[in-house]
Amino acid sequence: MRKAIAFALVAFVCIAGAVAGGASEDVYKIGFIGPLTGDNANYGIRCSNAAKLAISEINAAGGIDGKQLELIAEDSEGTVDKALASYEKLAYTDDVCAIIGPVFTSPALAVAQRCQEDGIVMISPSATHKDVTAQPATNADGLNYVFRTVPSDALQSDVAAHYFYEILGYRNLASLYAMNDYSQGLALGMKDTFESLGGKVVAEETCMVGDKDFRTQLTQIRAANPEAIYIPNYTVEDAQILEQAAQLGITVPFLSSDGFSDPEIYNLAPDFTDGVIYVGPAQAEASTILSDFQVAYGEMYNGDAPDSFATNSYDATYIIAGAIDRADIAEAGVDDQRLAVRDEVAATKDFQGANGTLNFAANGDLVASQGVYHVEGTTPVYVGSFQIVDGHIVQVD
Amino acid sequence: MDTLTLYMQYIVNGLTLGAIYSLIALGYTMVYGILKFINFAHGDILMVGAFVGLLVYTALTGEAADPGVWTIIAFFIAMLISMGFSALLGVLIERVAYKPLRNANRLAPLLSAIGVSFILSNGAAWIFGTQSRRFPYPFANDPIRIGAIAITPHQIVIIAVSVIMMILLTFFVNKTRMGKAMRAASLDQATSMLMGINVNRVISLTFAIGSALAAVGGILASFDFRVYPSMGTMTGLKAFVAAVIGGIGNIQGAMLGGVLLGILEAVGAPLLHIPNSMRDTVAFAVLIIVLLVKPDGILGKNEREKV
Repeated sequence: MRKAIAFALVAFVCIAGAVAGGASEDVYKIGFIGPLTGDNANYGIRCSNAAKLAISEINAAGGIDGKQLELIAEDSEGTVDKALASYEKLAYTDDVCAIIGPVFTSPALAVAQRCQEDGIVMISPSATHKDVTAQPATNADGLNYVFRTVPSDALQSDVAAHYFYEILGYRNLASLYAMNDYSQGLALGMKDTFESLGGKVVAEETCMVGDKDFRTQLTQIRAANPEAIYIPNYTVEDAQILEQAAQLGITVPFLSSDGFSDPEIYNLAPDFTDGVIYVGPAQAEASTILSDFQVAYGEMYNGDAPDSFATNSYDATYIIAGAIDRADIAEAGVDDQRLAVRDEVAATKDFQGANGTLNFAANGDLVASQGVYHVEGTTPVYVGSFQIVDGHIVQVD
Repeated sequence: MDTLTLYMQYIVNGLTLGAIYSLIALGYTMVYGILKFINFAHGDILMVGAFVGLLVYTALTGEAADPGVWTIIAFFIAMLISMGFSALLGVLIERVAYKPLRNANRLAPLLSAIGVSFILSNGAAWIFGTQSRRFPYPFANDPIRIGAIAITPHQIVIIAVSVIMMILLTFFVNKTRMGKAMRAASLDQATSMLMGINVNRVISLTFAIGSALAAVGGILASFDFRVYPSMGTMTGLKAFVAAVIGGIGNIQGAMLGGVLLGILEAVGAPLLHIPNSMRDTVAFAVLIIVLLVKPDGILGKNEREKV
């Protein structure tokens, strides 16, 4: 069995090599790494489908510099090992000029290190962990090669801290959060930014997921006398916190996170949600690019609907194609191609994609908007979407 | 806010929790006193009691009734019906799942109890779904301020109802013929039987009373904890711990243990200056210390093997 697999692999590599070798002069090759088989294949297949769709559209319109684009999709099965093997094939055998993916955080962290070292652009459509774009640029020029078209987890807490400090004018906040990656990440991230702006988190209380009684924490917070209380938790905890705070006579406003956008909160604590302000998803602009993409995707893939990561993957493909187009690399060697594509991807400005207007920060993170909502009674009212530009919060619509 | 007020507030909060734990702990301790057996399904009877209470209450008042005299009457009707239902359920479970195993290996009824616990909580999840539901307050629940200390009517109701239930139970056990029979059966079943006491009836009654108290505890707890199929697991475990701290088998011990555990949970973490996510760790560490010093619990008698 193992022999058979090895043989098949060798045969596959030979054929792939032969195909690639034969076509290298008249195509630009873009790699894709994501889970195409296994439990999480749905994510990877949709992302690669969206990239294939973008490429077929570009090729149908005549390609770039008279050359066609080719997507080489490699299966990571969602694991670090397979993702690195895929990377090595794409980087050293296929000589791709850029890579879309990996889809999951752990493979993305591993591949990002290699891309930074070897100098190959990587754009992940879906890895949200804040460290994906924090890998040191270990290549000879010290340039950043890692980007993503999905908002970093750090963005939400950043926008929250700026909104609380700059727009709501708070200087003393308290936080009450559950000990899980989501709540803790947001609470600590918000604290870092808020305190770097000059504010202070005067009480930081924790609980366990599933706790029902928060009176001790709220009593401690009440004693610290904050101007508002940040509760970036899931609905069940937040409902209890709001109700018990009212029972303890706490009247300062509550601030929350995208966990609050689940309408279940209004069933659990309908009398206590009035006045809550939370940072959550920005309401997407209804663009024709998005609807056209969704229609074309449905037609190409038997009525399947793209998820948000697939939309990000579609945008990533067009960003890479745009970079190849702007760079003058038709006759360049592969290393020069990769460098030129990086420079152009980094220089992307106000790219119009399926997700609306898109820009990259210096570290390769997506400059994305976050929505702010103000709850009136049991109805969240959209205040607008906000971005951090040059260290300050700016309302973008 | 000065430190004294701060700690007064913790104690008010802790008393509310503790009153609920005490009520539920009574069921564990009464059954243990007579059968020397831990009824692990007790926490799930609390959950059933809460669901029955909620269903009856919403049936009587409608979905969103404004608090008034009728809602308070409806609340107590719901509580009585729930107590009755839970008492019957408790007796039924004892007949079906425990009685046939009374002379079996000591582990057999324990496993049977765990099985019943799963049947009840999974059954509830199947019928009602797993999401939490609110138990609406039958009375206006605006906080009352005493200086800087806040207490709400529902906290007063929890403490008051618990105290009344405990007084009634103490009276029943100490002053009535049936109570005397219960005490006799807990001392020695075989001799009680020889003295003409119907031990089976005493056992059924014990399950009925314990389950009815659990229903009250479940309804009171649902103000604070909401109603959901797995609500009995953690609350039941805490109440069991309370019963052990107080001295399992001892009714006053269960009351004391419950109140102690509640206050400990509320005060422990701030007193030791550790994060509140460690509050259960504090509570259970104290349990270990109590057991090391007094293996039979605070009020537990250090009984030697009876001859």
